[in-house]
Amino acid sequence: MNVSLLDILDALPVGCVVLDPHRRVRTLNAAMESLLGYARDEVAGLPCRHVLRSRRCIQNCPHTSDGAPSPGGRTDCLSRHRRIIPINLTPVRLTTDQGAVYLDIVEDLSPIHSLEARLNQTATEDSLVGRSPAMERILRLVPMVAGHSAPILIAGETGTGKGRLAHAIHKASARARQPFIRFSCGPMAEEILEAELFGKTAPAPQPGRFQQAQGGTLYLAEIESLPPSIQARLLRFLDEGTIQPQGGHPMRVDVRLMASTMTDPATLAAAGRLCENLFHRLAALRLDLPPLRERPEDVAFLLHYFREHFAQRLKKNISGFTPKALSMLHAHPFPGNVRELKNIMEFAVLVCPEGDVRPEHLPGYLLRQPQRRGRKE
Amino acid sequence: MERRILITIDHDEIAPRFDLAMEVLILRLAEGGEIVARKSLLLAHPSADELCNLILERDMDAVVCGGIEEEYYHYLRWKRVEVFDGVIGSVAAVIDRLRTGTLNPGDIVEFSGAQA
Repeated sequence: MNVSLLDILDALPVGCVVLDPHRRVRTLNAAMESLLGYARDEVAGLPCRHVLRSRRCIQNCPHTSDGAPSPGGRTDCLSRHRRIIPINLTPVRLTTDQGAVYLDIVEDLSPIHSLEARLNQTATEDSLVGRSPAMERILRLVPMVAGHSAPILIAGETGTGKGRLAHAIHKASARARQPFIRFSCGPMAEEILEAELFGKTAPAPQPGRFQQAQGGTLYLAEIESLPPSIQARLLRFLDEGTIQPQGGHPMRVDVRLMASTMTDPATLAAAGRLCENLFHRLAALRLDLPPLRERPEDVAFLLHYFREHFAQRLKKNISGFTPKALSMLHAHPFPGNVRELKNIMEFAVLVCPEGDVRPEHLPGYLLRQPQRRGRKE
Repeated sequence: MERRILITIDHDEIAPRFDLAMEVLILRLAEGGEIVARKSLLLAHPSADELCNLILERDMDAVVCGGIEEEYYHYLRWKRVEVFDGVIGSVAAVIDRLRTGTLNPGDIVEFSGAQA
């Protein structure tokens, strides 16, 4: 091994294993020594699969006796210190006067994996939680409906988590790396609504939500607020996969449509507020989120879940609830559903100095409400 | 006292990784180092979990393997199984060391000249 070449390899930030034609280790560079925990002299002459211990090398060696090595890719290796390390392995074959020399270039992907794990953690925090049979059923359906591209209609009262459910389905789908665009179809002038959704070409080109969601998912909340003309254009998109920006030509977009409503969609269709054809097209996959009052078993779980969540976020030692505070919380009907419960717990954890949440730590309107009987933890 | 030892193997070498091993050799060694019984098992698929179950079900006293993930190493140690991990070399040379009681974790023993 040329010393100057080894100096160059040692200066590289990625790991390098130099192999002979029999795929025995000639040497490791400094980054590789650090990654694997082996000194180069210890492993010189050993078969590379025993040193790198890469899944790829063991299951399907990328170096063949003749010809170019197969393409590299993501795999993992096992260090001397018993740590599985995600890596990107690039096999290289060099022809020299003394024959072929093989190189394995190894990039440590641990930092990227840590970042991914952190991002997933953030996504999990934002996801749906629930232990009641009704919620467990919905959660079981998520991966199933995520696997299709059919539109989805989500029905549920305010605060039940319609947007979160839509996002969870998007994250579980093949479109997860593509955009997830939310749009609330609240009262708005029809012309503005049209431009917001489908974009416009004049005076300056402006992409709409459909274009922004290209390749991903467009989630339309309060779909019943859309005027009939816009509903008809959504129907056209569902039928033909095309939209037409204001002042422009029809264009094809690859978007999965999800829509939600706070009112029973069949009632809306019967009342003429939701185009019947659109209702039937959207309701191919329909999910109904039950209000919190219909799943009391979730109240206790969510109270503790959000107590821990906010205690961790606010770095406070909040251990639980006094019986009276718990009884007041269980007596509350939560018309704002999970969102209201979450807000109450954020307030309580913020106000409670430490220990148990007491009645005086709860929002004032809960203290003023008459105590109801019947519900227990 | 007789010892039961499981060795993860790949042809005539110690398998480079515990979790990717497809074959194991089970030895019963007499106190003097004689091999009382020798049996090899082919696994349906590689799995560290299933290997741990096999080791515990067969009541092994020791395991010889190449690299092993820390979680499995500590689990086996917790179950009072002696683990000779990080061993590199030929099965024959490793068995010789086991018989003479000279095998240590991390040992790099000779290869039998098998193709790399």
